[in-house]
This record gives sequence, C-alpha cells and structure tokens, in this order.
Amino acid sequence: MKLIATASQTVGPFFSIGLAHLHQESTKINSDDAQTIIGTVVDGNGQPIPDCVLEFWTSNSFARVPTSVDGTFLVNVEAGTAMCEVLLFMRGLLKPVYTRVYLSEAAKAKDEVASKSVPQDRVGTLIAQPGSAAKQFVWNVKMRGNNETVFFDY
Amino acid sequence: MTTPIEGREARKRTQPPYLFPDYVSTQERAPSKPLILLPENSSSLFSPVFGHASVRPADADLTRQHGGEPLGERIIVSGKVVDEDGRPVRGALAELWQANAAGRYHHQLDTHAAPLDPNFTGCGRLLTDDQGAYSFVSIKPGAYPWRNHENAWRPAHIHFSLFGAGILSRLVTQMYFPGDPLFARDPIFNSIPDEAARTRLVSTFDWRTTKPEFALGYRFDIVLRGPKSTPMETDHR
Repeated sequence: MKLIATASQTVGPFFSIGLAHLHQESTKINSDDAQTIIGTVVDGNGQPIPDCVLEFWTSNSFARVPTSVDGTFLVNVEAGTAMCEVLLFMRGLLKPVYTRVYLSEAAKAKDEVASKSVPQDRVGTLIAQPGSAAKQFVWNVKMRGNNETVFFDY
Repeated sequence: MTTPIEGREARKRTQPPYLFPDYVSTQERAPSKPLILLPENSSSLFSPVFGHASVRPADADLTRQHGGEPLGERIIVSGKVVDEDGRPVRGALAELWQANAAGRYHHQLDTHAAPLDPNFTGCGRLLTDDQGAYSFVSIKPGAYPWRNHENAWRPAHIHFSLFGAGILSRLVTQMYFPGDPLFARDPIFNSIPDEAARTRLVSTFDWRTTKPEFALGYRFDIVLRGPKSTPMETDHR
C-alpha cells in the first residue's frame, strides 16, 4: 500500500529562524581549496529576491545559504565539484524548485541530463561562468519569464 | 506499483502547484516555462547526516531556551516520519520554526504589532528515533495578519523542514491545528487541490500524549517521498 507524500508548503519569509543552523556561514565548513559560486536570484520582473534559501547537493555533500537583502548568495562547494543539484525555497514558492548548476562547459557536455533532456537554447541557464577570482564561478537564477532558469520535475 | 507518470499525475492533486494566483507572491516567483521531466533515479540519493553531535535533546523543547517560560498554551507535538512504503525514516533531521503565542515571529522583518516574547525564539530541531518517531514541546502559535489580500490572516501553524534520502525526499511544510476558522480563506492551505491531502496537514488533538496539568498533545504524521524502491527489495509489508 503506497502512502501519499505529505504536501509541501512555503518556507515563508521567516525561515532563517529555523534554518540558520545549517546556513553555511554559521557551520564554517569553508575550506581553503573550495570552489565558490556567487550569484543573484531574481523574480519574473528581474527584481532581486532577498528571502530565498538555496541548497546545493552533490553525490556526497550538502551546503545551504540564504540570499542577502540584494538577492545575492555565496556558497562554497568542495574542490573538484563538477555539478550540484540545487533546491530553492522562498516565500511565493509553495514547493521548492529543482535545478542544477554545472561548473564548466565540459561538465555539462559529459552529463546526459544537460546534453539530452534540456533544450539547447535554455541549457546555458545551468552553466556557471568563471568569476573574477580563482576558483570562483558566477551563476544567476531567474525564477520566471525571459531567460528563466531551467527547472526539473521528477 | 505506481509508474512515474501516475506518480506525477497524483502529485498534481496532492501537492500544491507553483502558480496559485490567490497567493499573490507566486505570480512573480513561480516558474512559467514547462518543467523538464527527468527520471526519478537521475537525482541524487545521498542522505546528508546532520548534527547527530550538535542536535541536543534540549533543542526539542522550545519552552526552555531562555531564562523564563514563554507565554501561551503549552503543547506537545508528536508523530512518525515514514516513507511512501510506510517504512520509518530513522535519524531524520527535522527543523521547526513558528510564531509566538501572540502571532509574532522573532525576526527583524516581522512588523506585526504584537508583542515579542523574551522567553520564546520559536526555533527547534530534533532527530527521529529508530521507529521514525519524534516529539517536541512548544507553545501554540498565534494566527497573524499578512498583506496578501484584504484582511488576510494565516491560520496558526508550525513550519517543519525534513530531510530523507536525497532531494526528492526533502520536505518543507506547515502543520496546522484542528478546527481553525481561518482555513477557508487561506490561499497557502487551499493551494493543495486534494481535500484529503490538505486535511493531512492539520494535526489531530491527541489525548494519549496530553500530559495532566502540563500540556495538550497534538499528533502530526509525515510521509516523505521516495526513494524509489529497488526491484531487489523483498521486505515490503
């Protein structure tokens, strides 16, 4: 007998009360050789989203960061990470969105999901660009509209 | 055994949509393009292990985090976390947050003109036990106004965040209280199309866990999605 999974509800605007324990800046899992991903999360009008929390999952690690008042985030992921599965939660999302970030064109090219399932005119939204510093990547998320980030359903 | 397609169709009824215009902020934040469908097994089944050292038993008592006791109606919330096959999810991290008894969050952006309670932060954490069971002590949160529509009020609720195996088991939800008169006009609660699925977010009063001269008991059971059963598995009940 299959049970029905409990319904999702929004994290609302005040999630930091309950989720701050695992926010990366408070868990100090940063390491010197980590790769850094920075970016901005914006809504359908291009307005920054200041009350979003992002989770970066790899096959063996997890990192969580909230956005700042200007909609920006910064997360450290382990050296050598090629791809993260990313969940975003925010007020106005009744359930999380699922996306991915590839840390290079090569990582994207090697991955079946990106090379086969995603329309090639949208796959660029999943690829982080080299940033201004070493081991730094820039990846922005657009929730809705033109240049909307690719989101997945399973 | 349900197929992935059937599962997806069922979730359209038992899970909220992204765009639900009555909940106004979905209109600028919900994805507008078709989601890309992927097989369930293409996602990570990694199960993060959190805080077995840092989650303390005291984190499951929200009434004892300060010098004095918070105001409000003391409650004991308990339940079981299982997967879709009914198997207990053991050692799962649950994170909890809620408003105080007056309906005010301990958060700088909450501008509701209700008093803060110096003895209540409204943050809890716990791990489920070997049967997937959990329990925590808190106070009943108050309803509070928001600006979604004219005279909008959220029914009293406690936020739950849970981790299972992998990203598909990840769940953030809200537990409500039985008989709340605000359900009918709350777009967040009513975003779930299926009435039974919606009702399962409402806790039930639980006489067995109610402690004499101490606290009222509420029960809230949780089912996490996945992971997909493997064909080799024979221990299904």
